[in-house]
Amino acid sequence: MRKFLAVVKHEYKKIVLKWSFILGTLLFPIIAAGFAVVPAIIFSIKGEPTRIAVVDQSGKLSARLKENLSAERMSAKVQQAAKDSLKNFDASQQERLNKSAEQLGASFVFTDYDFADKPLEQIRRELGEKITAKELDAYLIIPDYLDAADAKYEFRSRKAGDFGGERNLKDALNQAVRSERLAGANISEEQLKDLSRNVDFDSKSLDEKGDEKDTDGVFIASFIIGLMIYITLAIYGQMILAAVVEEKETRIAEILFSSARPFELMMGKLTGVGLAGLTQLGIWITSALVLVGFGMAQMSAAGMNISIPNISPLMVILFFVYFLLGFFIYASIFALIGSMVTTVQEGGQFSFPPIMLLLVGFYFSFAVIRDPNSSLSFWVSIAPFFAPITMPVRILAETPPLWQIGLSIFINAAAIAGLIWLASRVYRVGMLMYGKRATIPEVWKWIRQS
Amino acid sequence: MMSENNTTLRVANVSKHYGEFTAVNDLSFDVKAGRVFGFLGPNGAGKTTTIRMIVGITAPDEGTVELFGERISNETQNRIGYLPEERGLYKKMKVQDQLRYFAALKNVSQKEADRRIDFWLDRMKLSEWKTKKTTDLSKGMSQKIQFISTVLHNPDLLILDEPFSGLDPINVEFLIEVVAELKAQHKTIIFSTHLMETAERLCDDIILINKSRKVIGGTLREVKGSFSKNLIALRCIGGSAVLEDESLVAKIITHADVMEIELAANADAQVLLKRLIENGASISRFEQIEPSLNDIFIEKIAGNQ
Repeated sequence: MRKFLAVVKHEYKKIVLKWSFILGTLLFPIIAAGFAVVPAIIFSIKGEPTRIAVVDQSGKLSARLKENLSAERMSAKVQQAAKDSLKNFDASQQERLNKSAEQLGASFVFTDYDFADKPLEQIRRELGEKITAKELDAYLIIPDYLDAADAKYEFRSRKAGDFGGERNLKDALNQAVRSERLAGANISEEQLKDLSRNVDFDSKSLDEKGDEKDTDGVFIASFIIGLMIYITLAIYGQMILAAVVEEKETRIAEILFSSARPFELMMGKLTGVGLAGLTQLGIWITSALVLVGFGMAQMSAAGMNISIPNISPLMVILFFVYFLLGFFIYASIFALIGSMVTTVQEGGQFSFPPIMLLLVGFYFSFAVIRDPNSSLSFWVSIAPFFAPITMPVRILAETPPLWQIGLSIFINAAAIAGLIWLASRVYRVGMLMYGKRATIPEVWKWIRQS
Repeated sequence: MMSENNTTLRVANVSKHYGEFTAVNDLSFDVKAGRVFGFLGPNGAGKTTTIRMIVGITAPDEGTVELFGERISNETQNRIGYLPEERGLYKKMKVQDQLRYFAALKNVSQKEADRRIDFWLDRMKLSEWKTKKTTDLSKGMSQKIQFISTVLHNPDLLILDEPFSGLDPINVEFLIEVVAELKAQHKTIIFSTHLMETAERLCDDIILINKSRKVIGGTLREVKGSFSKNLIALRCIGGSAVLEDESLVAKIITHADVMEIELAANADAQVLLKRLIENGASISRFEQIEPSLNDIFIEKIAGNQ
């Protein structure tokens, strides 16, 4: 037992005290915080208001335009945009950019400019000079006849990159023109709003007990959980592979085997690396919970009401349980591969099958998110190799009955026992075989013999 | 003869097979406490396989290995220091951390390990490398660190498999000195090599194995004695009458400086010496020539190929 603990401590320290681990562990929350918090902070900083002169030759639009660009209208728009961006998880880059621009908001200060009886050329020149002198940021010239074929709305601005402001102005202008046209057709704005109102599409799923759940939040959280387990299992599996191959390559195995039982050594290695993985995930999850809490506080402060999936402490515990199940399944496979091969590069080629298994499990998790209660979801969340990814996703999306979780844990624990049995047999022989890679028939012989 | 309880290691009728191939075949030998035991043989003779069975890495298919009077167990493993022929260190680890780990695997507490690490690094003149990584060490330095990891837990039995390969002559002498110190502390040392000169210098007892079997074994003296061809190196003036006596001398080979005399069967070297003196010969050299271990090795192994 003392030797086992010595191996655990050795493997744990070897990973955790490395710069890459410390950086990776701390960087993830910082980057996540960057994605979650920084835009919110930036968006909350309003830019300098744009000083604009409106030359309304028609004399019909400027009042409506000013109203559309008023502070109340803008903030209502910002909130709607923020809500949309959260729901629109797979919006294209362009759309996202626009949404952020809308969230950014923009404020305009209207500068009076007397253009009466001046020719257009003179107006342009005078306003241009004001802009150069920095008395003005932009001007807009509205034509005489709004719907004339050659009607042009000239907007000139000093702030070339202010696409947010430009977009807002364009929207407000279009709206003002539309209202004017409707007024011309004897339809009031209220009538139009009434006619073109969207239905209120309230999308929520019901769980077993009939309680409502917010589907958008569930989708995002399930996806993140699945991805997190997939990535950590792949990374820590490779770490096991590298550690095993190093001891074989440097012939340290010979000394180790003369000091402790191979089984003790292998289990110590798996446990030590597993604990390092648990440490990293623990830090990540804690910081994720803190960040979500912070984000929630921010949003409710901004008057937005977005529910995140209800994560109970049991879910967090089960999440760690499934990480460990997955870790021991894949780590024992990687340990087995490591003791077969002679170099890390060779091990890399052979790690393709377990990585494929992991990837398939990750893809199955999408099917699980879409329909957590289908029979496919049932089977993949119980099957060994896949359950460590699919079951946490399923628990989050739609917690299955406890007996299914129990069955899944039992089957995967049994798979671990079998895999460790296999791996330890290959390990004790393979680690002392130098020079050439073992063939599958050879490995099969080792398993049967020892 | 030593008494029975002074036996550190007893290998009795041990065989090990790998499929069709027999690596060790019915091998038996004893290693006495406090002695340096040479485990000799050509490459592929079965030395490493035998050593692996002694240190408990593999188990014999037939026969038994007893250490300190008991079967191999985790307890006996803690009393062995094994320096394998193929050996290495963790590449990116500090010297001190590696040594601590190897000590912990032999059940040495960290406090005690730290004390001994300091002692041995000082003894090996490597103290300033304590916090350096393996990749910073030269090959010779790494080998000394590996040697330290072998003796760190103060083992009663040391197994050194080709300990001098890759070391410069100064370090070889240095290591021999250290081994002699350990022997003086009544440690048992099994020493596997194919360098016969070194073995001849260091070993009290030897065993020579070839093709999985024991060829010859015993104390160095016994082994050499059994190979003695009754050769005498002689340098003298006069006494030619004695040398012509065919009941004493079978053959004379004259070298530039010395005569090599092969005694007749049943003739005694002491009688020859006495007769020469009585005959009034002036003797400046009279030496019974023993075959070197190298000669024995070559004769036994080459004669068996």
